[in-house]
Amino acid sequence: MGRPTLKSTFTAFLYLLPALLIITVFTIYPIIKSLLISFYNDYDFFQDIVYERGIDSYIYLWNDPNFHLALKNTFIFVIGVVPCSIILSLLIAILLNTNIKLRALFRTVYFIPFVTSVVAVSIVWRWIFHTEYGVLNYFLGLFGVDPIAWLTDPKWAMPSLIILSIWKGLGYNIIIFLAGLQNINDQYYLAAKIDGASAIKRFFFITVPLLSPTTFFVSVVSIIGSFKVFDEIYALFGGQPGPASSALTVVYYIFEKFYGEWNFGVASAAAYCLFIIIFILTLIQLYIGKRKVTY
Amino acid sequence: MKKWSSILISILFVLLLAACNSSSSTEEKEEKQQETKETTGKVQEPVEIEFWHAMSGNLETALTKITDDFNSQNDSINVKLVNQGGYGDLSQKIMAAAKANTLPTISQAYEDWTTEYIQNNLVADLTPYINDKENGFTEEELNDIVDVFRDANMWDGKYYSMPFNKSTRILFYNKGLLEEANVEPPTTWDELEAAAKKLTGSKDGKNIVGMGFENGVGHELPAWVKQAGGEFIDEKEGKVLFNSPEGIEALSFINSMIQDGTARLAGEDGYMSGPFTRGDVAMYIGSSAGISYVAKDAEGNIEWSAAPIPKGKEAANAFMGTNINIFQSATDEQKTAAWEYIKFLINTENTTYWAKETGYLPVRYSALESEDWKKYIEEVPVYGVGQQQLDSGFFDPRMVGAYGIKNAINKEVELVLLGQKTVEQGLADAEKAAQAELDKVK
Repeated sequence: MGRPTLKSTFTAFLYLLPALLIITVFTIYPIIKSLLISFYNDYDFFQDIVYERGIDSYIYLWNDPNFHLALKNTFIFVIGVVPCSIILSLLIAILLNTNIKLRALFRTVYFIPFVTSVVAVSIVWRWIFHTEYGVLNYFLGLFGVDPIAWLTDPKWAMPSLIILSIWKGLGYNIIIFLAGLQNINDQYYLAAKIDGASAIKRFFFITVPLLSPTTFFVSVVSIIGSFKVFDEIYALFGGQPGPASSALTVVYYIFEKFYGEWNFGVASAAAYCLFIIIFILTLIQLYIGKRKVTY
Repeated sequence: MKKWSSILISILFVLLLAACNSSSSTEEKEEKQQETKETTGKVQEPVEIEFWHAMSGNLETALTKITDDFNSQNDSINVKLVNQGGYGDLSQKIMAAAKANTLPTISQAYEDWTTEYIQNNLVADLTPYINDKENGFTEEELNDIVDVFRDANMWDGKYYSMPFNKSTRILFYNKGLLEEANVEPPTTWDELEAAAKKLTGSKDGKNIVGMGFENGVGHELPAWVKQAGGEFIDEKEGKVLFNSPEGIEALSFINSMIQDGTARLAGEDGYMSGPFTRGDVAMYIGSSAGISYVAKDAEGNIEWSAAPIPKGKEAANAFMGTNINIFQSATDEQKTAAWEYIKFLINTENTTYWAKETGYLPVRYSALESEDWKKYIEEVPVYGVGQQQLDSGFFDPRMVGAYGIKNAINKEVELVLLGQKTVEQGLADAEKAAQAELDKVK
């Protein structure tokens, strides 16, 4: 390959054109447009006329208790889902990586929730969580636990949502971890065994550090994904953000402002707030990642 | 060099795209302005119009039948029905289509949707069509539409929609359970409370709750407050009025039954029809549009019937359901054709047929008084319950921002019913939130 010429750049651009076109129309244009809309104070959305620009939408968000609630709920959700999901999927991945019987079957089984439609999954979970007829309360009942109103008690709505989301996200994380585990050379384990390292030591001194690039990737993707949670709520609580808005998240808030109240400016501003939060968190993760991920 | 040129190219690209977009939208605007000149008259050339609706199951079958009849009687007009899923989907698709300039000719809409449409200049004023000498309504025909439906479709003296599928809430009750407990269907609040208490208990190891409410009972608050003799909201002045002694009485009435366990919400069952037809709940207040669902699920399970909503100090019943509007973006021919279709859809014969098939109410007095309908409700009395409430009928608030206001109120009512706030606290907070929403759009 020589130095890039105008001609070679042009050729490359031609190859990139189809992808660029799609990204521009469906990603870049909406991103720019919604940034602009978030600064509309007074406007006619359908005719694209703006009478006044300003930061009213952001001021509104600053003062809106519902938005604060949505932010709080979203953080609780992320904190509830991501660590649990990563630890659980890592453990399952390690089990699946060992020589157990029916390994292929189990791998498929764990992946099924990820590829099943959220709506179908939620219908099943609505039954599992049902106060009187649900299977979860039935099992808890065997241990003498009183029925819990999983979906109708504001205290339990968020835990229910977290349980569902962990279960649903497991499959994807497991697959990524499995790929990471298989990249670790067996030589390390053999050498450690010869040196007399216990299984626990091997896990903490070989698996964990060598797996850190994968863990890093999974944690970034999970955090971004969890911040954007929406479908699970919509389907699990039947089109409501949980009892008394106890499962109102930022994306649900955006949805309600945009489609329900036709409050396009506020919806766009909320979307940008979410974007900035995710952006900052990802930067922090990248910073930590640079220091801790050494392989 | 390479980096710079690619950045430059992509910037150019974005600009090009943005430019394309803005130029096309100005053209459309000019087009639109020309279109707004109102002309009514007969349809000459063949026209196709699209009708976006949210009717499924039985309802869709009945609508298709009426539409097929219309199409075969009118050579030049072809009405195409497009099912858009549920009401939520319909509303979202209408908004997206309005932005993309791909609106259908007509669609179903709740009153508060139409308020938004009017605000955004999306719907056509139907008054010129109604007043048209040849194709409009005569005074008599217009007055034949049930008062409360006519009023609900009028904004500042102009009609922007016509009533189509209208319903009201009624009291469903389990005949077997009421007979066993020797309880008559309640007609007043006191009787309702007493009946709920008497009907609550366990039978054959099954817990039965006396009374049931739908999940969005907060959305029913206007009716309850009016029944208690209070006012809900002053739409003209933009003032919330429900935080009053009457409002407190209304919410306390529902809340006390929920708290002492003689009433429950649909909760995770979604709709009351589920627990009611299982026999878990003896009575419930729900939409008359649910009759066909209850009838289907009740078969082989329970014997049931329905009665008008018990009275408080006053009788007050909200009438819900959607209307049909014509979008401004349609051509004049399409609008005229759409008007022809709407007239056909709600003529005496068809509104009767529609009501018989679906459980919605006929929207014309002539239909309510027709022999056909009278005979029908004699055979199936539950279909005749809703119309007994017409005299005390009203429609829910529909001012700009109604969606946000209703949600804010419902959230507070939920908190009260969950026992997390007192009635007084909940209503005060609901008033504050609703008033803030109202002031925001003012």
